[in-house]
Amino acid sequence: MPEPSSPSVVRVPVEERLFSLVLALVATETGLTKNEILSTVQGYRQRYKPGGDNASLERQFERDKDDIRDLGIPMETVESPGEQGNNQLLRYRISKGEYDLPADITFSAQEITLLGLAATVWRQGSLSAESQRALLKLRSLGIPSDDPVIGYAPRLRTRESSFEPLRTALERHSIVTFTYLKPGDAAPRLRSVSPLALVQHRGRWHLYGIDNDLGARRTFLLARIVGTPRSTSRTFAPPEGGGFADRALAELDALWRSQRATVRVVAGSDAETRLSKRPDSSRDLDGVLTLHYTDVDILADELASFGPEVEALSPGDLRAAVIKRLTMLVHAHSTGSRE
Amino acid sequence: MADFQPVQAQDKLAFLLSLVPYLMDHDRVSVADAAAHFGVPPEQIRQAVRLIAVSGVPGETTQYQHDDLFDIDWDAFEQDDEIAITHLVAIDESPRFSAREAAALIAGLQYLSGLPEQADRDVVGALMAKLALGASAAPSEVAVGSGDADTALATVRESVSTGRSLSFDYLNARGERERRIVDPLRVESLDADWYVRAWDHGRTAVRTFRLDRMSDLAVTDEPSSAEARDVVLPETLFQASPDDLSVDLDVTAAALPLIDDWIGSSEKRSVGTDVVRVTVRLAHYGTLKRLVAGLAGLVTVVDPDEARAAVASWASSALDNYLDVGGSHSDPPDSAG
Repeated sequence: MPEPSSPSVVRVPVEERLFSLVLALVATETGLTKNEILSTVQGYRQRYKPGGDNASLERQFERDKDDIRDLGIPMETVESPGEQGNNQLLRYRISKGEYDLPADITFSAQEITLLGLAATVWRQGSLSAESQRALLKLRSLGIPSDDPVIGYAPRLRTRESSFEPLRTALERHSIVTFTYLKPGDAAPRLRSVSPLALVQHRGRWHLYGIDNDLGARRTFLLARIVGTPRSTSRTFAPPEGGGFADRALAELDALWRSQRATVRVVAGSDAETRLSKRPDSSRDLDGVLTLHYTDVDILADELASFGPEVEALSPGDLRAAVIKRLTMLVHAHSTGSRE
Repeated sequence: MADFQPVQAQDKLAFLLSLVPYLMDHDRVSVADAAAHFGVPPEQIRQAVRLIAVSGVPGETTQYQHDDLFDIDWDAFEQDDEIAITHLVAIDESPRFSAREAAALIAGLQYLSGLPEQADRDVVGALMAKLALGASAAPSEVAVGSGDADTALATVRESVSTGRSLSFDYLNARGERERRIVDPLRVESLDADWYVRAWDHGRTAVRTFRLDRMSDLAVTDEPSSAEARDVVLPETLFQASPDDLSVDLDVTAAALPLIDDWIGSSEKRSVGTDVVRVTVRLAHYGTLKRLVAGLAGLVTVVDPDEARAAVASWASSALDNYLDVGGSHSDPPDSAG
C-alpha cells in the first residue's frame, strides 16, 4: 500500500524495515514498547515524529507484525509489571528459542530432494507460495540435494475457486457460508459450516466441517459449491484433539471401500485397460469389473466418457445416472438441437 | 527445480533470514555457488548481501553503531565476488516453518507417496514428523489422500536407471493398440492422472503416454537411444500441432477450470447467462468425444458438424447398451454433504 510521504524523508525499502524489526526484536531480552520500536528501529525511526501524531506509522507497524507472523516467526507480547492492560506499555519480543529451527531437526540429501519435489507439486495459489518459502528455509541449512534418477514434474491443482477462501477460513477458525448443490436436490441450499479440514481424495477436494444447521460433521465436495464461500465475522473453537484431516480421509476411504459398482467392459477397449487399473478394482466374470467409488455422480461422469465401451450394471442409481448423461449428450448434439 | 524469485517484501524478508544462516555456515562462499544453491540469479544474492551488511540492531545507543551491524569482508565481496560474514547480529539459525508452510510441504509429500522414490513409507512419515516439529504452530489441516503406488512407475524408473529402453502395450485415444519401445524422459502428473513423456523409437519423436493406458511393461535389453539424450522437453504437457482440429465449445462458467488445459489462450466469448464459448485444439475427435462425454450438461460442442456428430454417435451407441433393460431410478445416496 502506498504510504503518504514527504520528499525529505529517506525511503527505506520495506524488506529492510521488516528485517530490522526482526533483528531488533530477537536481540531484545526484555522486549521493546511500540514507541521504542517506532522511534529507534530502521525504517520507522526516519518517519517518527517525537511528540507528534504517529498514527499512520502505528498502522504500518500493525501490518508489519501480521506479515512477520505469517512467515511463522512467533512474536510475543509481554505486559509490563503493574501496568496490565496498558497497550502503550506492552512490550514486543521474538524469543530466539521459538524462532530457531530446533537443532536436532536435520535432513539428509535424499530428504531434501524429496521435499524439493513435494514443493513443486503446487504451481498456483497460496500453497505454491508457501511451499517455495518452506523450501527457502530448508536451503538455508546448506544441505545439497541429490539428483533424482528420472525427472519428475508432478502437479496438483486447486481448481475450485472456493479453495483459497475456505483455506483462509480454516486457518482463522471462521464460520463460512456457501451455496451447495447436492445431487438429487432441485436447488442449491445455503450452508453454514465451521471448517475443520480440507482434503484431497482420489483427485477431488473436499471440505470437512461442522454443518451448523445440523449440528453434525459433514463432508462437502468443493466442485459442488456454487459461487464463492463467504467468511463470516463469527469464529468457533475447533473440537479438542485435531486430526480432522486424517479423520476426513479415513471416512472417505471407508465410503470408497463400502460402495461397489459393477460394469461390463468391451474386451481390449480403453475402458477395460483404465478401469481395471483403478485402485481396488477386480475382474469378476469375463468382461465384468467391480469398482469402488465415493460418489455415484462422479463415477457416472467417468463412465459416460467411455461411451459404448462400458455399461453400468449396478447399482441402479449409477445405471440411471449414466443413462441420464448419455441422453443429455445425444439431445445436445443431435442435428436439429442446434440453436 | 523451479527457480525462486522473491517478489513480495515478505518473500524478500524470508530470503534474507534464510541467507544469513547459510552464509554463517560457509566461511567463504562465491556468489555463484550461493546463487546456484538457492536457485536465484547472482545479482539477487549480491543485493541481499549488500542489505544484510548494513543492517543490524539499534544497540545501546539506539544509533546503529558499527558494532551493532552485520559486517562482511568487503574486499572479498567487491574484488572476488565472494561472501564472508565477519560479524553476526541477533540471528544465526534457520527460521522455523510457519504452520501453513509445513502443511503445504506435507500435503505435497502425501501426494507423492506413490512414487518409487518414496517406496519406504517410514521415510515419508519421519519427514512429515520433522516438518511438524520444525513449524512454529501445528500444521494446518490440509491433507492429500495417499495415491496407490503404481508398479508401472517402478519399471519406468528401472528403465532409466539401467539405461535400457522400455517396452509396453499401448492403446491410443483412437483405439489402436500396439507395442511401443521408448526411452522415458520425465514422469509428469496432473492431479490423479500420471503421464510418461518419452522418446518413441517407432515414431522417432517425443510422445506423451498415460500411465493407466500402458500394459505389460518390461525393461528391454536394448540400450536407450542417443537421440533421447539430446531431447529438450517442452514445459507444457499438451502441445498444439499445426494439424490439430479446431472445435468450438459452449461451456458453463463453473466448468471452465475443468478444461483449462485444452482451452489454452483461446478467447472466451460470453454467449448467455453463465455460458462461455471457447475454441479448443486437439488431435482428433476420439479425444474430443471422450472429453465431452465426461462433462454432460456442462460442455456442448457447437462447431464443426463432424465434431457434434462424433459426440452424438459416441453417446447414442452407448445408450444402445441400455435399451434392452430399463434403468431403475432410485435416489442418489447421501455421499457428500
